[in-house]
Amino acid sequence: MTRRQRRLILIGGSLGVLAIAAALVLSALRQSIVFFNSPTDVVQEHVGAGKRVRLGGLVKPGSVKKGDDLRIEFAVTDGNSDITVNYQGIVPDLFREGQGVVVEGVIQPGGGFKADSVLAKHDERYMPREVADALKKAGRWQEGEGTTK
Amino acid sequence: MIPELGHYALVLALALALVQSIAPIIGARKNDPALMRLASSTAPMQFAFTAFSFAALTACYVLSDFSVANVYQNSHSLMPLIYKFTSTWGNHEGSMLLWVFILSLYGALVALFGANLPAALKANVLAVQSWIASAFYLFILLTSNPFLRLANAPFEGQDLNPILQDVGLAIHPPLLYLGYVGFSIAFSFAVAALIEGRIDAAWARWVRPWTLSAWMALTVGIAMGSYWAYYELGWGGWWFWDPVENASLMPWLAGTALLHSAVVMEKRNALKVWTILLAILAFSLSLIGTFLVRSGVLTSVHTFANDPARGIFILGILILFIGGSLMIFAWRAPLLKQGGLFAPISREGALVFNNLFLVSACATVFIGTLYPLALEALTDEKISVGAPFFNLTFGPLFTPLLLAMPFGPLLAWKRGDLLGAAQRLMVAAALAVVGIAVVYVAEGGHDLTLAPFGIGLALYVMTGAVIDLAERTGLFRLPMRVVRSRANGLPRSAWGTALAHLGIGVTLLGIVCETHWGAERIVALKPSQTVSIHHYELTFDGVIPREGPNYRELAARFSVRHGGVFVGTMEPSKRTYGSRGTTTTEAALMTRGVSQLYLSLGEPNADGSVAVRLYHKPLVLLIWLGAVVMMFGGALSLTDRRLRVGAPQPPRKSPAAAMPVAAK
Amino acid sequence: MALWLMFVLMTAAAILAVLWPLSRRTPVHRGNDVAVYRDQLDEIERDRAAGLIADKEAEAARVEVSRRLLAAAEAAEATLETVVDSPWRRRAAAVVGLVLVPLIAASLYLKLGSPYLPGEPLALRAPGSQDNRSIAGLISQVESHLDRNPNDGRGWEVLAPVYLRIGRFDDAIKARKKAIDLNGETADRRADLGEAIVAAANGVVTADAKTAFERALVLDAQHLKSRFFIGLAAQQDGQRDKAGEIWRGMLNEAPPDAPWLQTVQRALAELQTSGQPGPNAQDVAAASQMTEAQRGDMVRGMVANLAARLAQDGSDVDGWLRLLRAYMVLGEREKAQAAAVDARRALANDPDKLKRVDEAIKGLGLS
Repeated sequence: MTRRQRRLILIGGSLGVLAIAAALVLSALRQSIVFFNSPTDVVQEHVGAGKRVRLGGLVKPGSVKKGDDLRIEFAVTDGNSDITVNYQGIVPDLFREGQGVVVEGVIQPGGGFKADSVLAKHDERYMPREVADALKKAGRWQEGEGTTK
Repeated sequence: MIPELGHYALVLALALALVQSIAPIIGARKNDPALMRLASSTAPMQFAFTAFSFAALTACYVLSDFSVANVYQNSHSLMPLIYKFTSTWGNHEGSMLLWVFILSLYGALVALFGANLPAALKANVLAVQSWIASAFYLFILLTSNPFLRLANAPFEGQDLNPILQDVGLAIHPPLLYLGYVGFSIAFSFAVAALIEGRIDAAWARWVRPWTLSAWMALTVGIAMGSYWAYYELGWGGWWFWDPVENASLMPWLAGTALLHSAVVMEKRNALKVWTILLAILAFSLSLIGTFLVRSGVLTSVHTFANDPARGIFILGILILFIGGSLMIFAWRAPLLKQGGLFAPISREGALVFNNLFLVSACATVFIGTLYPLALEALTDEKISVGAPFFNLTFGPLFTPLLLAMPFGPLLAWKRGDLLGAAQRLMVAAALAVVGIAVVYVAEGGHDLTLAPFGIGLALYVMTGAVIDLAERTGLFRLPMRVVRSRANGLPRSAWGTALAHLGIGVTLLGIVCETHWGAERIVALKPSQTVSIHHYELTFDGVIPREGPNYRELAARFSVRHGGVFVGTMEPSKRTYGSRGTTTTEAALMTRGVSQLYLSLGEPNADGSVAVRLYHKPLVLLIWLGAVVMMFGGALSLTDRRLRVGAPQPPRKSPAAAMPVAAK
Repeated sequence: MALWLMFVLMTAAAILAVLWPLSRRTPVHRGNDVAVYRDQLDEIERDRAAGLIADKEAEAARVEVSRRLLAAAEAAEATLETVVDSPWRRRAAAVVGLVLVPLIAASLYLKLGSPYLPGEPLALRAPGSQDNRSIAGLISQVESHLDRNPNDGRGWEVLAPVYLRIGRFDDAIKARKKAIDLNGETADRRADLGEAIVAAANGVVTADAKTAFERALVLDAQHLKSRFFIGLAAQQDGQRDKAGEIWRGMLNEAPPDAPWLQTVQRALAELQTSGQPGPNAQDVAAASQMTEAQRGDMVRGMVANLAARLAQDGSDVDGWLRLLRAYMVLGEREKAQAAAVDARRALANDPDKLKRVDEAIKGLGLS
């Protein structure tokens, strides 16, 4: 085998592997990306039912209802819109009314949200960044409505 | 007085680092021995100062000196001593101090044990090391100073984040940093080689022990972090493809590739430029990891505080070092003498194959981790790339890598015999097929998921490692006496390779078993009710309130029976830390062999029942034991006499006397 | 004194590390690659003896390594020949070590360090370690007592000021509220609640706090603490006349030996000297001991509080003006822009106020 052939094999092989890797990345990205939305996004942009999203906001005070079999229902709010979330399982330690929360799951045809994971912040000092951003966005509208209060 | 002395020591370390950044390079350029020697004495002194500084901060924590703002924010006088100790690095400022402490430790080690290095190379390496150190000293002093004081010391501290109040904090960050920062040595060697414009096989041998020790620490560091998350977060998961986890995985992948390519460079004088690039990449990825975790770009347990100034400073360091080193690389690498090419079917070829797949896997992790950040910065669209993405990309890339892995050690250098190697691996392949068949049948034949193949692959990898050793010692072929003498003559690095490869198989076996046969139950239980999982019955005996040093906890006691026989009790609990008003879940683990029962508590319900999350995790401990086996493989390799560059030469031939020059 | 002595000794050690290698004249130890290649040759021989590689390949490898060995030896010789030992460079390096190291260290440390603050390990704290231990112990004792008897109003009342003292403001607020719920409402308790809220808000009298003080004044129109804070609220809202009026009223009615006299006098004096309405005297005192970053945080905290208050009640035109100015001072132009939009919307029904805001916005160079 000549030097040239060896080099070709090496380069060809490398490009082949890289192409495979790129193809894997692209197809995986198409299949498994989850978008982050605030309740207002979901309501205003009419995110379709059956779509998998991450929803972030505050747990609306007074909205938490516990049911049988560890079912729990609560509303996630950004101050403008609320989305009712259903979840079955154990919520994290820092899940509290009025605190930031991120839930991942699927929007139901009726407008509800069925979550399969609930994340609260790790530390009481910090707010999940996505939630903070979503609230900031929403908070601006809220300030405008402040005069009616 | 203690905090001020620590502060001043850190400032002095910076001053020395600045001198060490410049003088040795001039010395190396002008071939001036005095200036080159300078680094060998300033580097240990730098280490002495950072060690002193770190000890001073630790002392402030242990003595609860709340006149230090950092101690006030992250400690509490009632914390147990071990947590006072570990909370030194359980916060941003302290952890950065640990970072430079380890950085200067490596610098000192090179200075003290690098007697065998050519003077110019050593001087350049230590100077480059000092560039990194200077940048981070400045970062700490100007944006993250742990020694800032409060004029009126508060009576009580604000306590450490309860999630961090765990022995895990004593082990995971120091090990991880030993790994991250260890790659800085490989980086410094690479940049030094580029500056000198000279690189040869000997370089690879000098770099290898440093890379190997960093790799070992990183391997165990990642594993310990994973185990910590597993038992502390209470979700029973051990790897979440969280960006912060990915940040530690990427340097590991690049570092593993570097270890292998350095072997090719040492033995065959080939892949020089590539090895240099990998050395730069491994440390760059460590820096990116530090940036992601420390800048507040990502929110996680590891984000102690978000401060944009810090993020920008680290970003500056990042751009300076990654961009700078890549520019030097682009400028100088073409000047390096190219090494030889080789046949695709050979040990070298196998190692290149390994490098290709490791680097591709690393690239996919990189994309999966940074794509959401880039997308958000560019389009304001927030997405999350979760486990499915990584499973879809990482899995397919690692499978061929693992399939090829046993071939590598069986192929000869220069020109290998693929067919011969395949024949030798027949036993492993046969075992794998048997494994697949057994699992397939045991699962009722209808289960076509990846589990049987995962088991088969794990068996194949493990047997492959054993076959490698058997072939080298001539086990089963030669008389026992010869085998023994051959085993004795076998270099330790060969044992190390086999052991590390075995470790990968062990981890894989654990992963497959845990993911596929793990069972989960979430139920609400009232006292004296029983729940069963995988032949175990757990009876909820009742709740016990307890008082800890700085928390109160509510423990639930469960009696565990296996097939009706009592095997022990488990007591998961909920802790409330008064000073922060935080609750944490303490999972209870019961280890049976290498499998575990995992129990964690949810909120108590109004009707007196308690929600529990119960898992049976078969062979789960293998995941982390595999990593420990890998580390032992690395350690064995490290003790190989040939790798101990710094060790005194055996007296039989002094290198100087053997030099033709000296003889002349 | 001991501290400075230690500093000198440490600096000397650092300088020594630079000077020592410069002063030695021993030939540089020449580690080299030759040894590595020699090892490789040995290894090939071992492998061949063990039968791991064939004789032919071993021979080829040996030739290859030998070639590298010779090259390395030649290179080593070449470097050895060009060794230059320049006394001029040594001296320059020595000067750098002697001058630059202490200079860098001293200037940076004097800028960042606090050499005059003594360390205060808990065990050495005046007036004796027992006290501090007992404060922490006391808190946790009372806390666990209240855990078991959450309806003990007196317990909450004991705990609240302690929380306030050690900076656990949110807990202090909670405790004050509990005390009101359990023990009934009095002007004192309302005012204490208001005080805790103010402390939590970095000294800003928020709308919540104001409500608490107003409630206290309903219960007791002469309540002093509440009057003081209502005055402070007025000052922070930019109504300096009103604040002065309230405080002067308090001074006029005060008995000459009233312990709070000084506080009010100081507040009043500050009101008259400083044109800008600002944080109260304690905050200023606290701020002067803070680092730049902390001070920035405090200011930002106050601005955030103001913004929050305006979001609740947008009719306060002075508040809006202050917020706009604060954002511009902090360099947060985007926020200022957003606040301008909000202010206009909030004041849309009041043409007079709208005009004032519009003028201010133009004056600040916002659109």
